[in-house]
Amino acid sequence: MSFLELRDVSRVYGEGANEVHALQNVNLAVERGSLVAVMGPSGSGKSTLLTIAGSLEEPTSGEVLIDGRSLSNMSHNDKARLRRRTVGYVFQDFNLLAGLTAAENVSLPLELDGTGARKARDAAMAVLDELGLVDRAGHYPDQLSGGERQRVAIARAIVGERHLVLADEPSGALDSANGEAVMRMLLTACKGGVAAVVVTHDAQLASWAERVVFLRDGRVVDQTVPPPSPESLLEPSVQP
Amino acid sequence: MVATGPGGGLAARRAVGRWAWRLFVREWRQQLLVLALIVVAVAATVVGAAAAANAPAPVDGTFGTAQDLASFQGGDPHLSAGIAALEHRFGAVDVIENETLAVPGTVSTYFLRAQDPRGPYGRPMLSLLSGHYPAGAGQVALTPALASELHLHIGDLWRQGPMTRRVVGLVENPQSLLDEFALVPPGQVPAPNTVTVLFDGQPVPARAIGSNVQGRAPANTNAFNPETISLAGLTVGMILIALVAVGGFTVLAQRRLRSLGMLASLGATDKNVSFVVRANGVVVGVAGALLGTAVGILLWFAYRPRLESSSHHVIGLWALPWLVVVLAMVLAVLSTYFAASRPARAVTRIPVVTALSGRPAPPRKVHRSAVPGIVCMVIAFFFLSWAGSQAHTGGGMKEVVLGLVALLPGVILLAPFCLSALAWLGRRAPVAVRLALRDLARYRARSGSALAAISIGVLIAVIIVIVASVRYANALDYAGPNLASNQLILYTPTGPGYTPPCPPGVCPKAPTGDQVQAMGTKAHAVASALGAQHVVELESMSASLSRNAPGRNWNGSIYVATPALLHAFGIRASAVSPAADILSMRPGLATLSNMHLDWCNQFAAPQNVDGKIFQNPCTTGGTSTPVIQQVGSLPSGVSAPNTVITEQAVQKLGLESQLQVAGWLIETAHPLTASQISNARLAASSAGMTLETKNDQPTSAQVVNWATVFGIALALAILAMSVGLIRAETAGDLRTLAATGAGSRTRRTLTAATAGGLGFLGALLGTVAGYVGVIGFLRSNSLEGGISALGNVPVRNLLLILVGTPLAATAVGWLLAGREPAVMAHQPIE
Amino acid sequence: MSVRHALLGLLSEGPKYGHQLRQEFEARTGEVWPLNVGQVYTTLQRLERDGLVASDDAEAEGPQKDFRITAQGQEELDRWLRTPPDLTSPPRDELVIKVLVAVQLPGVDVREVLQVHRRYLVELMQQWTRLKEDEAEFDLALALVVDAELFRLDSVIRWLDAADGRLKRADAEPAAAGAPPPVLRRRLAVRR
Repeated sequence: MSFLELRDVSRVYGEGANEVHALQNVNLAVERGSLVAVMGPSGSGKSTLLTIAGSLEEPTSGEVLIDGRSLSNMSHNDKARLRRRTVGYVFQDFNLLAGLTAAENVSLPLELDGTGARKARDAAMAVLDELGLVDRAGHYPDQLSGGERQRVAIARAIVGERHLVLADEPSGALDSANGEAVMRMLLTACKGGVAAVVVTHDAQLASWAERVVFLRDGRVVDQTVPPPSPESLLEPSVQP
Repeated sequence: MVATGPGGGLAARRAVGRWAWRLFVREWRQQLLVLALIVVAVAATVVGAAAAANAPAPVDGTFGTAQDLASFQGGDPHLSAGIAALEHRFGAVDVIENETLAVPGTVSTYFLRAQDPRGPYGRPMLSLLSGHYPAGAGQVALTPALASELHLHIGDLWRQGPMTRRVVGLVENPQSLLDEFALVPPGQVPAPNTVTVLFDGQPVPARAIGSNVQGRAPANTNAFNPETISLAGLTVGMILIALVAVGGFTVLAQRRLRSLGMLASLGATDKNVSFVVRANGVVVGVAGALLGTAVGILLWFAYRPRLESSSHHVIGLWALPWLVVVLAMVLAVLSTYFAASRPARAVTRIPVVTALSGRPAPPRKVHRSAVPGIVCMVIAFFFLSWAGSQAHTGGGMKEVVLGLVALLPGVILLAPFCLSALAWLGRRAPVAVRLALRDLARYRARSGSALAAISIGVLIAVIIVIVASVRYANALDYAGPNLASNQLILYTPTGPGYTPPCPPGVCPKAPTGDQVQAMGTKAHAVASALGAQHVVELESMSASLSRNAPGRNWNGSIYVATPALLHAFGIRASAVSPAADILSMRPGLATLSNMHLDWCNQFAAPQNVDGKIFQNPCTTGGTSTPVIQQVGSLPSGVSAPNTVITEQAVQKLGLESQLQVAGWLIETAHPLTASQISNARLAASSAGMTLETKNDQPTSAQVVNWATVFGIALALAILAMSVGLIRAETAGDLRTLAATGAGSRTRRTLTAATAGGLGFLGALLGTVAGYVGVIGFLRSNSLEGGISALGNVPVRNLLLILVGTPLAATAVGWLLAGREPAVMAHQPIE
Repeated sequence: MSVRHALLGLLSEGPKYGHQLRQEFEARTGEVWPLNVGQVYTTLQRLERDGLVASDDAEAEGPQKDFRITAQGQEELDRWLRTPPDLTSPPRDELVIKVLVAVQLPGVDVREVLQVHRRYLVELMQQWTRLKEDEAEFDLALALVVDAELFRLDSVIRWLDAADGRLKRADAEPAAAGAPPPVLRRRLAVRR
């Protein structure tokens, strides 16, 4: 069963002459353990897709299901709880709260959910350890490099037992090496049973995903078929 | 995972609170303004309330801890029997004997006092400064002032009459530092003039015990005591601060919008998110309250010695009105909490996605309609009218409060409308001015509250100016300082307010001719000791002025215009109209219609009905319409002979037999010093006279000018703080302007126009609201003479507020905007 | 990829046999470019003819022949390393030609054509990336080659995206699309 499912989702902004169809009848299903990239140029509606999938915004029509539960029946507080427990966000450049250390940033969703400070901190340290960021745990965001900030953000997105990570241009302002590190980290998370959606305009980033969905003007126009083994690239026939 | 409530419970609050606290620690400088305002307000309240509560002389100065006080003459044959009777009836008594003695070679007197330092009631009236209390017949303790007057130190021998005593200590009456005495053990005063017996006669009323018994005055139960007044002041102050703080917290919330959106995306509930902003407000409030209280207490420590010396009694280091202190702190926290509540609610209404994008949220739509504000104004107007119509009965206090309470929201609600109106008016102005005014209108959420704060500051000043000038201009119920600083009056026991004859024991005994003679001699002795220019004998008789019309009525004494009095004030006999009955310096008194002069030639004997005394009805007397002549050179003090009856009128009305000496007005070349006054007071009391000197009542001009200065300064202070806030938010615009080639001149114009626009609107709105309130109050107020009383309002001061505030604001804005704002260089990291 | 210069580069390290050259070439390029023996020897013969390499024994044939670089060959290698490849004129790119043809043909949804190519390219990139994910961690040469390939494919996708954007704007303003600026057309013609 898909962990995240978008059924016929549409989103319209504005009214009358100013009406903008940000999304039109979008269908998308993501299983646990898989990384899906949504690729499209700016203005194609990919950020809207992500915020709708993550319950930050309501679709004008259609339905979003997370773990089989429809968001449309949820109250404001239920959605907040869903975000605390199930969904993790990674944004392009602004991810961490100034004034909280890396570890505190990571443990924040747990604490918001009522977990005791010590327990939440332990969980945060465990995730930071996994991602090789333990020595940065006590640093404030302005003491971290851009790549480190982004990796801490991923740690926060997967801390606890969350199974859906939504990333919006997660390597936006980073160089390619840091971008690669971020994607590797997401991939690792997926192997641990997380369903991940990355929206991006960058083909290199998208190529890390198992499946790339192409979004054009608010519509899903195409998607890649699962690629053959990379060994095929090494056959002489490919060589020009 | 622990399943808790929808908000994540305590853990969530703690996490969010921790973040709010860290943000405050990182960004407290941006909240310095609100913090400073609260510190000043709380500190001022603490010091003000402490000073006001401690300034009046405590009753303990004469009563100690006793509830009743019986006084006996020294030579009273029934003295010991009376004391014994009291002791028998009420248990323990404390006997204090006093003998009045003169300091050799001066007019000063002091008491030789016999009192038991361990007496049951008198203990608070004595404290030992050094040495020890006198224990035997040959020992004495002196007050420090007396010791220095007599040139004695501890260990010296003091010869007084036939007695020789050794000085063993320095003592004082902590409740009354002006009380000068030499303390000896009980029974060691050979010939006391007065013997005071302190005892507790409860529950028997003092008068029922004996005519020589006084009860302790009840504690001040008046609602308008120093504590409530300082709290009321603080409340208005906190409303102003809250209004400024709303702007501050709005800007702050805006600056943290992305972080707050982030928090929501992490699953924080609306409650959590708004808690951050509220917690921030509370943190600022608590910090301000604690700091303000600390500063206030420190100031109080510094000010206490001065207050002690000016109020002549010892004040405890910690004699603070703690209830007021606690309430002030609570009020500070509450006001910041409520100031933060509005931005807190606004933040939760912003969609998470918008918040996350960090785009400046579209300016919040603040209603533009003037209707709610006008409705509030109208309500205020009617409440105040109602209050005014009840003023002559002394009522209407509740309505005044309700009216003022309605006036404030009226101002607050009208502010946004005024801003859009101003922007509309300025739409053809040069670009910088237009931009400034448009920003004011666009960001009404914060500029509106700033404007409201300025308007309320001006409103307070305008109301003070108008009410003070109306009140002071009342010729009948004359207000102002009692005397000039170089004047003092020595009153005979039958001084002003005394109407003969009184039954013995109720009214002071009228002095005999010889006694008056003796007092006159003493008064002249005092005058020559002071080097006085004039000593004018004040004569009074039973005549009073009144007005047969609703409103305030006659207030003050009428003395006789003796040739000596006229001469003393440089009024030649030829300057007095032969037809005049009354000469007065009160402006406008001569032109009042319906004036009456009532007099009494003979009083009936007082009647005693069931132990209650009904005073002396007049049996022979009359009423006439007096001819009043205005004479500007009469003294203006309220207690001074500002209105006098001519000798010719006294003869005409047959009041010669009623003439009595009320006292002596002494006028010196220079203002009197505290020690001169203290010596004169001792001398006067030793001769049975009382003394009046200049009190602290300000003149009309002082009140009006101070109110004007206060209003302008307050408005400018609020402006200085809020303009920074408002412009900081549009620093981005400044950058864009700079990029398009605008220089410091544009920046100056922008800030100056913002400040000037706010200043102008604030002054206008405040003045209009003030007039609405005052016109409402005076319209049907017969006491103050109705709406016509507004004719006396000093237009100069109001114009100063109306024109001066915006001008000063513009100038200050222009000058201060020259420097490049730091915000342009870098935006703070979120 | 110039096999000529790659062989020169290998020989600059020291004399090598023919079959050794082939093995090392494949190893150094991350085994991405397979090379057959015939190709190696043809190239070596040409190099020898031009005097860039010399062999010890002119008689010996096959894999046993030992080659070394000449001074002239060393010079040629240094020059080649610092000579920029010819990037000034566009390669005769088949994809560009296909898209240009599609634009001319009526009844063809050009954007759909673009998407077909885009998807193919992304799939290709996915394969390259998978390679990187699986093995490239410690193999620097392979990582460099994969990056080069990814950036190349990425640039093609970017061109497709740009073309897509251009077509979209042209659709929105049909009049402007009907008459493209003549200057642009002339320059393109010259380059071709």
